[in-house]
Amino acid sequence: MPVTDNSAGKTGAAPEGARARDRLALLTADNAAVPLPAGVQAITAILLAVLLIALPWLGLGYRFLSIAITTLYTAIGLYGLGLQFGQAGIMSVGHAALMGVGAYASAILSVQLGLGLWASLPFAMALSAIVGGVIGLPTLRVGGQHYIIITFCFCALFVIVLTNGGTFTGSATGLDVGSVTPLPGINFDKLSNNYYLVLAALFLAVVATYLIGNSRYGRTLRAIRENEQLARSVGINVDLHKLGVLMVSGLFAGLAGVLQLYYLRHISPTLFGAFPSLYLALMVMLGGARYLYGPLIGAVVVNFLPEVLNLDPVDSRIAYGVCLLLVILLLPGGVGAGIKNIYCAITGGFETQKQRGSNGRA
Amino acid sequence: MRQLGLGLTIAAAGLAMALQTARADEELPIGVIAAQSGSFVSAGNTIVGAANLAAQQINDAGGIKVGDKTYKIKLYIRDNRTDVNVTIAAARELVNDIGVKAIWGTETHDFSVSMAKITGPAKVLQFSGNSSLGAVLDNKAVAEDGWLHYTFQSEPQEWQRSGSTGKGVLSLLTPQLKSPPKHSVVFVGNDATGQYLSSHYVKALEAEGQKVDLVQYPPDTTDFSPLLTRIKGMKPDIVHFWYNGDSTLTAFPQALKLGVAPSYFLFGVDPGIYQERSLKADVPVTLSCVPVCWGSSPYPEVKQYFDKYFGLGAAKGPQSSVSLLYYDYFFWYAKALEKVGKIDDPDAVVAELLKSDYKGVVSPVPLVFNKHHQVTFATEVCMVEPNTSDQFKCAVEQPPAAPPPGDNGG
Repeated sequence: MPVTDNSAGKTGAAPEGARARDRLALLTADNAAVPLPAGVQAITAILLAVLLIALPWLGLGYRFLSIAITTLYTAIGLYGLGLQFGQAGIMSVGHAALMGVGAYASAILSVQLGLGLWASLPFAMALSAIVGGVIGLPTLRVGGQHYIIITFCFCALFVIVLTNGGTFTGSATGLDVGSVTPLPGINFDKLSNNYYLVLAALFLAVVATYLIGNSRYGRTLRAIRENEQLARSVGINVDLHKLGVLMVSGLFAGLAGVLQLYYLRHISPTLFGAFPSLYLALMVMLGGARYLYGPLIGAVVVNFLPEVLNLDPVDSRIAYGVCLLLVILLLPGGVGAGIKNIYCAITGGFETQKQRGSNGRA
Repeated sequence: MRQLGLGLTIAAAGLAMALQTARADEELPIGVIAAQSGSFVSAGNTIVGAANLAAQQINDAGGIKVGDKTYKIKLYIRDNRTDVNVTIAAARELVNDIGVKAIWGTETHDFSVSMAKITGPAKVLQFSGNSSLGAVLDNKAVAEDGWLHYTFQSEPQEWQRSGSTGKGVLSLLTPQLKSPPKHSVVFVGNDATGQYLSSHYVKALEAEGQKVDLVQYPPDTTDFSPLLTRIKGMKPDIVHFWYNGDSTLTAFPQALKLGVAPSYFLFGVDPGIYQERSLKADVPVTLSCVPVCWGSSPYPEVKQYFDKYFGLGAAKGPQSSVSLLYYDYFFWYAKALEKVGKIDDPDAVVAELLKSDYKGVVSPVPLVFNKHHQVTFATEVCMVEPNTSDQFKCAVEQPPAAPPPGDNGG
């Protein structure tokens, strides 16, 4: 969606209706490519970090903290999906299965070889990355809805394999693991320590996303997203980059899956089926895949909305559907875009930002 | 002055009585985690219904006398929304924020297992009805330092239930068929519970001399006709619709229409539901309930229980009888607390539960926990007269003494 000029509202030359339309356009535009000033970005990051670090100390209770942990590990998976969808334009509706690859790899290593979280994490992440790349191979030939269907099929197949995998995968009953191996002086059975473990992983995911988004690699991915043929014609190895981003996305998913496993300490195939995958796609679209904090916002909205409004699963699905429609119609960039636009509208518009603009992420 | 003195005396007496009452009405916090919304709601509601009825009856009878104090049960009911993450958050809240002494629930294996990893370290007792817990309740898990030391399975071991069910079904159907049945097909949902339960039931039928084929369907199936047609080709004597009553109620009419077999067994379909839905078959049909049927029970105390249970507004459904997997254990737990004499000694309560027995509604024989924290009781199997919806012949079948060959227990 093009960035809208809001200067008409300031001059007073345009009629009232046109000004209102301009304001609406300003608030609903997708301005992912227009970066916020560095100072604002830094303050936002610091405030967010302080809030997340302070959360266990705010006395919100174990229930809140439990849902916060769920939100954070979900957000880590979403950062991977955000990279492949927001940066490279490759949507997946089978992302929960990739998380499942990581979770099951770690669980099987625990059950069969007695490896704990720390020892199994690199293998689990690597396997998720490899599987992400293998599923990505069809994207070299097909794209768009075809690839989405492929990811959906992978998700369904993955669940069938796990359900019928005998004692190796625990079949439909699933697999159990023990606690996270303690680090010197840190026992992860304590919920707040478990929270900080997941928060640290989220921090890494956010930093990695920022660095990728603001690197040459990130710009290359966006070039592919905007016009694959043109990117190819200027010498970009499109196939390699597409597979690369899917593997990076798989790394994130693997990390999220392992953290999910050691939080629940019991996994079964239903956690990684079609519904959880669709929820992940929904979250990333709601939050805004092209925005640095979009995946986190999406995870917060979907995990906390039923809790705050006391919605049952049916009401929640209706609410998510309505939210998604509103986002598509009014905020194509997601809630992240809306927050940014509100900030810019309050502080004087996008013109200055646009002049500074490059292709970075805000 | 005299009046003032009298007034002060009355006030002091009143205050003393009020303090006495306050001391007598101490609160025993108990948690319930169950699906009150989402896809498991019909099972989840039965846990809540049973808990409400039991707590009300215990409190109305004066509460639980522990040492020199009397405790009234205060229930903290949490809806898990059929979501494992919400289940865990609710368990954390009940255990750490509220400090409950015991938790009843949940309705599904995965959730109960994840929950036990929170209740175990916190030494909070957990009563779960899932017979599939048998897969993890072993010597190591229930040992004093085991992760399931505080978890109790309020349903019999699956080999016991499968054994009594299989025997009951065959003994009721055999006289109705032209020749003794030799070939059974077990038709079951391919999920955690279905896999676990059917693995035992197949062995139980084989022990009764049946040749058994297992056919599994995806859990969300609504059109069963392709699979049923395949089963018809196998020419079975009996088709056993196993485990999920809701799915069975969809699949069974389709099977009748296709004429799949000369007799059927519907697990988890109560005679009350069969009657309410006006189901009718021209072939013999057997039914069994988990654990006792509400629609046609031979026990007066079971009938009284369900009158009270439905009297509190609980819905009549295929899973209503599941409430009995939770009801008796409130009274047994209360009895154990009274015996131990304190509410803050979960280890002593566990030890007391393991050495005591309790005669409840679910079984005329006193309930006893075995060393793996599982109970034993009989199964009720009913047969519907062909071409009727309300003519039932029921029998109570005792569980076998040992697992059948090839079944390692659990």
